[in-house]
Amino acid sequence: MAEKFDSLEEHLEKFVENIRQLGIIVSDFQPSSQTGLNQKLNFMVTGLQDIDKCRQQLHDISVPLEVFEYIDQGRNPQLYTKECLERALAKNEQVKGKIDTMKKFKSLLIQELTKVFPEDMAKYKAIRGEDPPT
Amino acid sequence: AAPPPGEDAARKAAVGPFYLLRELPGTTELTGSTNLITHYNLEHAYNKFCGKKVKEKLSNFLPDLPGMIDLPGSHDSSSLRSLIEKPPICGSSFTPLTGAMLTGFRLHAGPLPEQCRLMHIQPPKKKNKHKHKQSRTQDPVPPETPSDSDHKKKKKKKEEDPERKRKKKEKKKKKNRHSPEHPGVGSSQASSSLR
Repeated sequence: MAEKFDSLEEHLEKFVENIRQLGIIVSDFQPSSQTGLNQKLNFMVTGLQDIDKCRQQLHDISVPLEVFEYIDQGRNPQLYTKECLERALAKNEQVKGKIDTMKKFKSLLIQELTKVFPEDMAKYKAIRGEDPPT
Repeated sequence: AAPPPGEDAARKAAVGPFYLLRELPGTTELTGSTNLITHYNLEHAYNKFCGKKVKEKLSNFLPDLPGMIDLPGSHDSSSLRSLIEKPPICGSSFTPLTGAMLTGFRLHAGPLPEQCRLMHIQPPKKKNKHKHKQSRTQDPVPPETPSDSDHKKKKKKKEEDPERKRKKKEKKKKKNRHSPEHPGVGSSQASSSLR
């Protein structure tokens, strides 16, 4: 799974490095650098070809759009993962709390109803059979 | 009154006085009462992302990427969202540049103008947290370098600080007078987790 990302990452790093070196050449250009500049320009094209070839391996990868918001704001995308996990845990705890409370309510209600309507509750329990698995 | 359609099957369980009794819904192993982090083997991921402090900036995630990547994408039209909303129209093939095409890249010798030189400059990593109040965008050439302006700025800061402190004290006194029964500043963290 990680190998297909490694290949893309390597191509991207080389591409970015090539662009960075292009920037350095262009920032203070000398005529003798023309050949090197041309090579780097063509490497941009081949670099994009290599990156494009990586698409086939990654066609099944989905990226949530919310991550792009973080990146566009200059924020670490790992914060998105962190916040997802925190929200999932908080929601998990909240729902667990509701389930536990409803179970307690059910047992309390049955208990009190049995005190008031013992015969009917006996029939009810017979119909329901055993309590559903908790 | 006839029951609504679809409810006849649910009411098959009705026996005796329990005319509202319905069949129970099916049970599942996986409910909200299960620890889903454990269930999906995400404990390692949880400890990795939530156990330690995750650094805020994009440059902490991509330390080797050149350029000012911590700036918002909207500043220099480099946002990913704009790429999704308006994808560039381009051909499907990548053809190398021929000699004739490369003649268009014959550059004049000499340095670039200052405004174009910022492309590859990375901001220096700030170690001291107290310096974050200073300007965040780093200009390579400061606009004013004479020492007089620094003294003036320092004097202004010294004059303003005691005034600000007085104002803050006055505000606090007013708050205490007007609200003796209120607990004051509420806690920012609400306890919402149920265990």
